[in-house]
Amino acid sequence: MGVFWAGYLIFFGTTFAYAFAGEAIESYQVLNSGLIFVLAIDFMARFPFQKLPTQEVKPYILLPVKRDRLIDFLLIRSGLNGFNAIWLFFFVPFAIISITKFYGIAGVLTYCIGIWLIMIFNNYWFLLCRTLMGERLWWVSLPIAVYGGIAAGLFIPNKSPLFDYSIDLGESLIKGNIIAFISILVAIAIMWIINRTIMKGLVYDEINKVEDTKVKHVSEYKFLDRYGEVGEYMRLELKLLLRNKVCKQALRTVILVVVGFSLVLSFTDVYDGKGMKNFIVVYNFVIFGILFLSSLMSYEGNYIDGLMSRKESIYNLLRAKYTLYSIAILLPFILMIPAIATGKLALLTCISWAIFSIGCVYFCLFQLAVYNNKTVDLNAKMTGRRNIGGGLQNLIAGATFGVPLLLNIILNSTVGQFATSWTLIIIGSVFILSSNFWLKNVYYRFMKRRYKNMEGFRDSRQ
Amino acid sequence: MITINNLQKKFGEKKAVDIEKYIINQGEMLGLVGNNGAGKTTLFRLILDLLKADQGNVTINDIDVSQSEDWKSFTGAFIDDGFLIDYLTPEEYFYFIGKMYGLKKEEVNARIATFERFMNGEVMGQKKYIRNFSAGNKQKIGIISAMLHQPQLLILDEPFNFLDPSSQSIIKHLLKKYNEEHHATVIISSHNLNHTVDVCPRIALLEHGIIIKDIQNENNSAEKELEAYFNISVEEEIKEEDEVTQE
Repeated sequence: MGVFWAGYLIFFGTTFAYAFAGEAIESYQVLNSGLIFVLAIDFMARFPFQKLPTQEVKPYILLPVKRDRLIDFLLIRSGLNGFNAIWLFFFVPFAIISITKFYGIAGVLTYCIGIWLIMIFNNYWFLLCRTLMGERLWWVSLPIAVYGGIAAGLFIPNKSPLFDYSIDLGESLIKGNIIAFISILVAIAIMWIINRTIMKGLVYDEINKVEDTKVKHVSEYKFLDRYGEVGEYMRLELKLLLRNKVCKQALRTVILVVVGFSLVLSFTDVYDGKGMKNFIVVYNFVIFGILFLSSLMSYEGNYIDGLMSRKESIYNLLRAKYTLYSIAILLPFILMIPAIATGKLALLTCISWAIFSIGCVYFCLFQLAVYNNKTVDLNAKMTGRRNIGGGLQNLIAGATFGVPLLLNIILNSTVGQFATSWTLIIIGSVFILSSNFWLKNVYYRFMKRRYKNMEGFRDSRQ
Repeated sequence: MITINNLQKKFGEKKAVDIEKYIINQGEMLGLVGNNGAGKTTLFRLILDLLKADQGNVTINDIDVSQSEDWKSFTGAFIDDGFLIDYLTPEEYFYFIGKMYGLKKEEVNARIATFERFMNGEVMGQKKYIRNFSAGNKQKIGIISAMLHQPQLLILDEPFNFLDPSSQSIIKHLLKKYNEEHHATVIISSHNLNHTVDVCPRIALLEHGIIIKDIQNENNSAEKELEAYFNISVEEEIKEEDEVTQE
């Protein structure tokens, strides 16, 4: 997942740097004026991923180390956490493209260091809010008041000085202004002291907390009852996606990115070039399959023994997955409707990519069910050890995105958009109509390799 | 019911299972005992086709388990957490298993009702996913799910593990009753000699993958034999350790 985010950030950083070429204002000035928005996004993004030092203190509490030292150590560790540097995947390529020509490499360096320090400040600000919110829920009003106040300061006046202040801060970092750096360091230090004081008092409260494991609402998905055993496996797949951290994070990520791309494509001119439009269409349709099907059977590795001790359960599972993810293609399709309505995309193009993805792309990805044999921990933390894909998994995932993109370019330049769409529809339809046959084939090949796979799943289970 | 023919499984150089011929008849209740690493779980995995044998085969009702899946419809098993879908609630899991064997919800409910005492009000209606249950309750969920479709062959690995004394007593009673009423073949493994002797009329003693004794346990007659074996093993080990220390 981290690699995906890094990829997105590099992509966005690079495209943003070029987005204002030829304009009166430089792209780094635009970005600097919106630094507060970056901090707000960073703040929100920390909620699902970041643990509080008070939550991490438990394994160390019996060690012969003073409590103050322990909290200092955990606060330092939190400050140095790689998560605070993830925005550099956005800022470094952005700065290299947009800042070097004005301020040289030194400007890039000081700017990136400054951004990293600001993210560390944001880290401690998040820890403070999160700790207080853990105590009393009404503390949620603190970040709301702060961000709401800033938003009001930015948007209510006709010409807000806050934008200028934000631009000045960014410029100061680029120029290596020592006062700007000292100010940030002082702000970090103040935030550190506040966190330290509050956490010292709350360590035992946190340790004594009992996690509420009750499920508030158990979804039945009764409409799947009519589909027999395959429907039962579809129900299982839905629960897999919605009840486990790793799948939920992947689902959130993919929806966020597809929605983002669709909105940008529909309502701005940023990606109006033919190449970028094609890229986004292919990406939006293929990413669902890549994210969930490239780890096909790896989630099931957690309970593979149970599945394998029941007759033909793997075949029904594969059929259920195919049906469910085919239906899921409707999601990017629906999200592309604004782009169709605004005339940025042709309806036929979207239909052809939806059919091609369900047919050809899924056919390629389902082959991984035969070869995947590493269990993915369904509730692993972001920082935990993960069984990331092997060479073949990455190769097929890369090919399922790269090959259609290449095919699209070749067909478009040779036979035109209309014929391309119909070619994709025909290819996709052939694979869809023969899906029962090739799913059975995947199942037979899986069964042939079952001992090797089961051993792999068992060995990699955590 | 089950025939083991020249079955061998090695992990590296170590032989985990090496059984020339062993037959378990329909309706028998067999206890598998042996020290850690004796090969009990490996033997179960081989019977359930979850491991590839290096040599030989296992047949259930004359079906070679590695060649056909037909035996799965009348077999139920629980070995470890790898059998549980832990993001389901127990109710959802039971209904899922039931559906796999063509059981309706009402039938599943009726069958679960027979385990009411065993569950002791701690399993059903808890609104918790299986992953949030205690080890003992997970064990109960696994055992019930293996018995839900009333299989003719039931295999349970260490069924008494994690269970409180009352639940251990109830499961012993349930297994005996199940064996008698359904004339089902039941195979359990356990480190608890008392329980095994109480429940199983036939006991196989496993050592380094080999069945070294096949004991007919009439009126708990196997108890002394087994105790003698395990005590002697421990005494021998202590003696060996002492000799090494003295050297």
